[in-house]
Amino acid sequence: MMATVRNPARDAVAFVGVGTTPYLRDAGGKSATALACDAARTAIEDAGVDLADIDGICGSSVPTVSVQAALGLPAVTWWSNSSLPFSLLVIEAMNAVFSGACTTVLVYHSSLRGAGGSKTAAADPFRVHNASDAHGHNAAMTAESPSGTYGYCAWAQRYLDTYGVGRDALGLVAINGRANAARNPHALFREPLSMEQYLGARMIREPLCVLDMDPPVDAGDAFVLTTAERARDLGHRPVLLHAATSGRTDRPFADQLEDYTISGKEIVAWRLWEKSDVALSDVDVFFPYDGFSIMALSWVEAVGYCQPGEAGPFLAKHWSAGENRVLIDGRVPINTHGGSLSEGATQGAGHFREAVTQLRGDAGERQVPGAATALVTPGGFLWNATGFVLRGG
Amino acid sequence: MSALPDDAALFERFPGVGLDHDNKGLYRGFLERELRLNRCGACGHWQHPSLPMCPRCWSTDVVATPVSGRGEIYLLTVMHQGPPTPGVDYHSGYAVGSVELVEQRGLRYTSAIRSDGIRPAIGMPVELEWIERSGAPFPVFAARP
Repeated sequence: MMATVRNPARDAVAFVGVGTTPYLRDAGGKSATALACDAARTAIEDAGVDLADIDGICGSSVPTVSVQAALGLPAVTWWSNSSLPFSLLVIEAMNAVFSGACTTVLVYHSSLRGAGGSKTAAADPFRVHNASDAHGHNAAMTAESPSGTYGYCAWAQRYLDTYGVGRDALGLVAINGRANAARNPHALFREPLSMEQYLGARMIREPLCVLDMDPPVDAGDAFVLTTAERARDLGHRPVLLHAATSGRTDRPFADQLEDYTISGKEIVAWRLWEKSDVALSDVDVFFPYDGFSIMALSWVEAVGYCQPGEAGPFLAKHWSAGENRVLIDGRVPINTHGGSLSEGATQGAGHFREAVTQLRGDAGERQVPGAATALVTPGGFLWNATGFVLRGG
Repeated sequence: MSALPDDAALFERFPGVGLDHDNKGLYRGFLERELRLNRCGACGHWQHPSLPMCPRCWSTDVVATPVSGRGEIYLLTVMHQGPPTPGVDYHSGYAVGSVELVEQRGLRYTSAIRSDGIRPAIGMPVELEWIERSGAPFPVFAARP
């Protein structure tokens, strides 16, 4: 590939505040705006910055005007509503801080479970009439629409066929997440999961079953980012954005991707390791996105742990029988919060929250000893692949 | 064969579809039971979904052109739930696939796969068929194992 890789923003911008709401099937009458504001308040309090210091705001579907007005941020100089996953907002915010468009930025994502999620959701007029588009669904969609959901399910089938892999490879992602979620009070699903349960779970779109798809939740997450310099004067150990990138090919549509191995994730991996001073062997904790389980397998392969098609055997080889979860080389856990499959579907915001929490050393009984470097790969392999190396400052 | 509708009438025939100048030829083709995908008039390159420029030669002479509808299943899923769709019953599994068309490597069209009791599979040959949906023809594929 062509362009010279530059990374002037290396370690220049830091996460300094983290906030969230409970992850619930029904937040009981709260709007998506309310959830965003709840998360934002806790993030701002966690960061210990004054409202007047926040001069940038970046959100997903809830308009930044609403959140700024509700919180009373008196003067912002940069704002953006961006597309998902959450990582794309983080990249925008990082760039805004690095460029000087703003100095301290609030980044948030919130969503309400859509009306199609369940019978109770379908009976809630606020869900029926205010369907948030967090999962790319809309009224014009039919069974045959080549949506992202279609794409990941159909590519999962081709993956299993191409590499001669069974569904148990996907099941390891779900089981690993559930074992980790047992130690995350924030997670929606915390009961242990067996392979037998996984293989017997309700099929949604073959070969993916209900346990391969992250459960929709009513939830909000927010973060405060600022310059590394300013971060050193605040209360927490800063978590530095060491390297960040997105990646997409010119065939990004769900059914037109040239091949499983010629996708955004290969561009991300190449660019990320070119930008980073650290290598895969330096990573202490890994957060492959798992909105669909196949995405996590694809990231294990793309970042360089193994070859395409080998993620299932790789996870099995690095499985800790005692802990019923993955520990790569006996050391590196994957999705210590449970991933979005167990914690809840928040477009990768949960992966960032956990990465920051681990690198601060604040993860309690989930803490990875001495965690200094986290690899976070939100998004999938069609049109929204992204990758990050985060380091404790 | 009824006379082709004008642009305003096309919107009436396909409510909810995001019609534009780049895909109107595809949907107008539905009404004549022809699957027409965009093809470059200059270099012959096919492209889907419908976009206004040829990525190979940058010609804007892109014309909705009939394909044979023959190809092989490249991607496949059997749906047990999904968006409410007229005439679609997910109860016993509804197969949807992306068919790699014989016209060009990598040119794929996604729709239902009908297979009369046999289980469809990746690599299986298919042919185009037309069904009626919401008062307009709709293209699907029939497996020919």
